[in-house]
Amino acid sequence: MLRFLQFVNSYVSSGGKGGEEESIYDIVMHHITDHPITEGFFGIGDLIGEINNTYLNKKLFGIFDMRITKWVIMLWVALFLAVIIFVPLAKRIKKDIMGSKSKWVNFWESLIGFVHDEIVEPNFDHKYIKKAMPYFLNLFFFILFANFIGLIPGMATSTGNLAVTAGLAVITLICVIAVGTVRQGPFWIIKGIVPHGVPLFLFPLLWVIELLGIFIKPFALTIRLFANMTAGHIVIIIFLYLSIMFQSYFVGLGSITGSLMIYLLELLVAFIQAYIFASLSAMYIGSSMHAH
Amino acid sequence: MDFIKEGLLRVDPGLFLWTIITFMVLMLILWKMAWKPIVDALDARSERIRGDIESADRKRIEAEKLLAQHKEMMDRAKDEAAEIIAKSKIEAEKIRNEIIEKANNDSRELAERAKQEIKLAKEEALAEIKSEIVNISTEIASKIINKNLNPEDQKSLVQETLDKLRTVQ
Repeated sequence: MLRFLQFVNSYVSSGGKGGEEESIYDIVMHHITDHPITEGFFGIGDLIGEINNTYLNKKLFGIFDMRITKWVIMLWVALFLAVIIFVPLAKRIKKDIMGSKSKWVNFWESLIGFVHDEIVEPNFDHKYIKKAMPYFLNLFFFILFANFIGLIPGMATSTGNLAVTAGLAVITLICVIAVGTVRQGPFWIIKGIVPHGVPLFLFPLLWVIELLGIFIKPFALTIRLFANMTAGHIVIIIFLYLSIMFQSYFVGLGSITGSLMIYLLELLVAFIQAYIFASLSAMYIGSSMHAH
Repeated sequence: MDFIKEGLLRVDPGLFLWTIITFMVLMLILWKMAWKPIVDALDARSERIRGDIESADRKRIEAEKLLAQHKEMMDRAKDEAAEIIAKSKIEAEKIRNEIIEKANNDSRELAERAKQEIKLAKEEALAEIKSEIVNISTEIASKIINKNLNPEDQKSLVQETLDKLRTVQ
């Protein structure tokens, strides 16, 4: 992808349009990479910039740069959205024993039902479904909101960043290890991950493979969500940039249409990726509950 | 490893930590305030609906059984009623015939007895008449024998006899 961007960049800059505009590479990179907030947005940005400079300018433990960035704000917007939607919703669901008539409540209930039926139920024993539901509801809706916030113009896709997806995947990894250790005992990591009935001489080899698998799976989650959320946005931006590049109404028409199509596709992808991330997490955590 | 520090594939440790913190905060807020109540409420509802459907099913089966029973009972009652009616018809016919026969017999017997009585009375009457005739003739005979005593006597005798006859009559 990086190669592709550099290729496009070199193409654009060698196109002889002149050096007065930003190159597409800079524009794309500006949209899809993170920066600490220093200013803007009716003074809120300035305030955050000040907080960043006064309180958060030192690195935590030497490596964690805790300055509040645009991506952090987007994560908080997702958090805020989830809180203001689900806290009142919980009250309404609790109040209406036989189901509410409100479309709003039923819409969210159907999504919760989707999480229950498609993500948790296939991967967990019946008696653990209720215990597992909150975590996967949280995961699914957090990623879903973060994905959709990225599709609102002016906002940014926090899930289109490796650090964010890695953070979510690491939580899944911790859950896998914690659930495995609690459910199958502390020696789970030694004997629980290798399938039963394996010949003894193959055991060390398979153990290494399975152990690697435990870490590769969250890594795959990280890359999958990041790549899917980033790719669509890059394509949308490039489509829009085409009209600036060629300075033609016809190209503009085409580029807007193409961009709109990709945008609609992105709406679908945003949902599907949230589903896939939560579903695969459920699969990994569910499979660590039993010995293979 | 430069790509981790720069550009598109940069993994910012700060953002990584912020993500985990944000996720955990959301989890803490919503676990108690939203997810638990929602899951409990939805579970309770689905349980209740399942129970309702089951009990409705049970009741339907019961109702069907009852209906079948009722139908059977109705059929049986109808059959019984028809049987009773038929039986009573036969009985009534029999009783009627019996009554008619009895009446016939009675009337025949009555007539017979009347005839018998009439016959008896007739015989009695005839016997009486016979004896009377015998008496009278004997008297007449004896009187005829005693006739020539004198006419006066004879006359009075006849008169006497006639009187007697009249009284007999």
